[in-house]
Amino acid sequence: MKTTDNLIKEKIVDIKKSQQDLDSLDTKSSSVDRRDFLAKTAALSVTALAGTSLLASEEAGDPRILEPQEWGTKWGDPITKNLYGMPSKYEHNVTRRYTKLLASGNFRASIAVTPIQESSGIITPNGLFFSRSHGGVAHIDPNEHRLMITGLVEKPLVLTMKQLKRYPSVTRVHFIECPANGGQEWRGPQYNSLQFAKGFMSCAEWTGVYIKDILKDLGLKPEAKWMLAEGGDSSKMGRTIPVDKVLDDAMIVWGQNGEALRPEQGYPIRLLVPGWEGNLSVKWLRRLDFASEPWYCKEETSKYTVLKPNGKAVQHFYANEVNSTVTSPSPEIDWTDLKDGDVVEIEGLAWSGMGTITGVDISFDGGKTYKEASLKGLVLPKCWTRWSYMHTYKKGEELLLTSRAMDDAGYIQPTIDQEVLKVGVEAVYHRNAVETWKVEKDGKVTHVEIRSPYERKENGELVIEGKA
Amino acid sequence: MFTINKKLFISMSAAAALSLSLTACMDSATPADTKSAKKASIDGGVMYPIANGKTGPYYVNTKAHNQKVHFGRTPTEKEYEEWDSDIMPDGTGLPEGEGSVEEGEEVYESKCVMCHGDFGSGGGGYPSLSKGNAYELHETLTNQRIKPDTDGPVRVFGTYWPQATTLFWYIKDAMPHPMTDSLSDDQVYALVAYILNINEMEIDGQEVDDEYVLNREKFLKIKMPNANGFEPSIDGPNGPDNIRKYFSNPDNFGAQKVKPAERCMTNCQEPTAKVVYIKGAGISDFHPPLSAVRDLPKEKETGFNAAKAYEANCAMCHSADGMGAPVIGDKAAWANYTAKGMDKVYSNGIHGINGMPPKGGADLSDTHFKSVVDYIVNKSK
Repeated sequence: MKTTDNLIKEKIVDIKKSQQDLDSLDTKSSSVDRRDFLAKTAALSVTALAGTSLLASEEAGDPRILEPQEWGTKWGDPITKNLYGMPSKYEHNVTRRYTKLLASGNFRASIAVTPIQESSGIITPNGLFFSRSHGGVAHIDPNEHRLMITGLVEKPLVLTMKQLKRYPSVTRVHFIECPANGGQEWRGPQYNSLQFAKGFMSCAEWTGVYIKDILKDLGLKPEAKWMLAEGGDSSKMGRTIPVDKVLDDAMIVWGQNGEALRPEQGYPIRLLVPGWEGNLSVKWLRRLDFASEPWYCKEETSKYTVLKPNGKAVQHFYANEVNSTVTSPSPEIDWTDLKDGDVVEIEGLAWSGMGTITGVDISFDGGKTYKEASLKGLVLPKCWTRWSYMHTYKKGEELLLTSRAMDDAGYIQPTIDQEVLKVGVEAVYHRNAVETWKVEKDGKVTHVEIRSPYERKENGELVIEGKA
Repeated sequence: MFTINKKLFISMSAAAALSLSLTACMDSATPADTKSAKKASIDGGVMYPIANGKTGPYYVNTKAHNQKVHFGRTPTEKEYEEWDSDIMPDGTGLPEGEGSVEEGEEVYESKCVMCHGDFGSGGGGYPSLSKGNAYELHETLTNQRIKPDTDGPVRVFGTYWPQATTLFWYIKDAMPHPMTDSLSDDQVYALVAYILNINEMEIDGQEVDDEYVLNREKFLKIKMPNANGFEPSIDGPNGPDNIRKYFSNPDNFGAQKVKPAERCMTNCQEPTAKVVYIKGAGISDFHPPLSAVRDLPKEKETGFNAAKAYEANCAMCHSADGMGAPVIGDKAAWANYTAKGMDKVYSNGIHGINGMPPKGGADLSDTHFKSVVDYIVNKSK
């Protein structure tokens, strides 16, 4: 048996070690940075040249125009090839990505995140939808899969997948967001990447059945207050959901963007709890059980709880609150190719699990002053919403781009200071404070945070350091 | 475990009989959009009840949502029981059985230590099960790492989890990670006893020492140090309303409410707020590396690299002592295995043995897996 002292010492060593690990990443990544830098400067010089005077080589004209291309003169593939279509090979860099730091030991309890820096519109293609599992991606034979509904219902039920799809269907566009989106950055920015800073979410058109429609015939008993949703994968992921939400808009879905769910999304069926923590939308769903008391599943106590400075943790923290980010420019796709005077669109996403986006403001000074941006495209409840602002770029200018969204439930994104002073820096989940990209003089984009230093009062309350 | 305590299951005949006579009752229990629309939403957000044939921007076929539809059949009691593995805080679903700390340590050493480390200390990203005395370390929950050199809160089973039933249920259903649902109830009691022991916990005033034997009766007396550490209270008939009330106050969860016309447009940051940059390179170990370039993918290496496959799949358990796996380079240990013939070594690895899952959980063909085994054996000669 080890003594407590020893274990504490080891723990401190662990923490120090993990800090060293982070520091040492510095050197490991430098070669990648250099390659990126070379590629970017090469691209920059080409565009810079194109914008100024014509060189001799350009006066000769662009061979890509003047000379026939292979694909313009030779047969393409017959339609018999690629009966299930795939993206162009040239798009191979548009892909989910992962990092070891987000793996609970191995890559079967981990997350691969969506390249939202490359996303257009409000729909994530199924192959790019973020993928999170706790026991690996299960591959379920739909013919062998059953859904069982039991507990405080008059008539328990078991359904085959074919029978489930006989219920009247509904189709809705909703985002799913892991509440740990941005959760590594409570104490400061960590990712110089939009994909990792905000890509723990995706948005899709879902088709399935309202659970309330199935319950109509089953007869939910009045004392039923909670529903356990449980997956059939090896992790048996379970979560407790209040009946209030079940009777509002919770669905069992089998369709995603016009086709079956992908295995990574819970094929053949998953729960969809619109707007709420992604973890509640249990994948590979096999069981719904109703009871008068909550269950205390592992993922709603040991995880997905928000520890506040007073030592109490918020449990059953459901909705992903109003949030937004600038998606163009991003650290990945920056403004190094822009010329002085270019009129460029700043674009972004806004979303709220509590309702519908009503407006987005943009700041060029890190959230000190704001101007109103325009919403564009479809504006749907609990769904990604696009916003836009036109900007005339001045070569050499430094900007701190910050967006701030509002929803029809009356919420607005807090500043980092506002959020931290209420819930501290140990929350892990539900971080929705405004996000800032710094546009450097050369057009490069860096992830920064605008925040004050804090101190802790005797009673545990956090205050801004030195503020009376 | 079948109980009628909180999750009443009605047999097929009873259900059929009830269904004939419960129309009126069911109407009152039917999802009533109008009824719930009057209440504030439980999450602090808005709801979009069906009105004039639409919910929010979506048209609906109201007839599809107003009538009873029925497909499928009633599950049998046996079917229900097979899947009813959940365990509630009051003990509903907790099976009879017993296990000692000593037995728990044995199971732990053979099936758990390779990931969760010595005495549940964690490692390699796998969760820690203990960091020491749960009662003392519970006090760390008010720690906030607002300065770079401060210690954080310790959130492990003993210090943080509100219910012990969660642990039993989770181990039984979802552990060991590569081979879930493989432990007997007695083994789970033993593991829970061991985990209580390494968290230096007590049951009913008695220390869970090395001699302790846990059973159902004693289990139900476990009091978790952080049982009252969560808000709002979700238990009892008022649980959902407590939650509704909690989320009606933005201060409780760090949110900001504002009338759009009154939102801040100037001087919206504290004067003390400064630009904070990423320290060093931050987290940048991304796979594949970030790139927005459009080009043809590099030809994949066709040659199989056993050393790389070892690092990716095996090193976490085979590279260090104390993980329960024979360490690479330990000549004596590996000589013992190879003495039984390489076919036996391959077979053990391919099918898994003790705590090792089949192929160590790696996604490798038999041929590639064998070349990784060869690599390890050659390194251990």
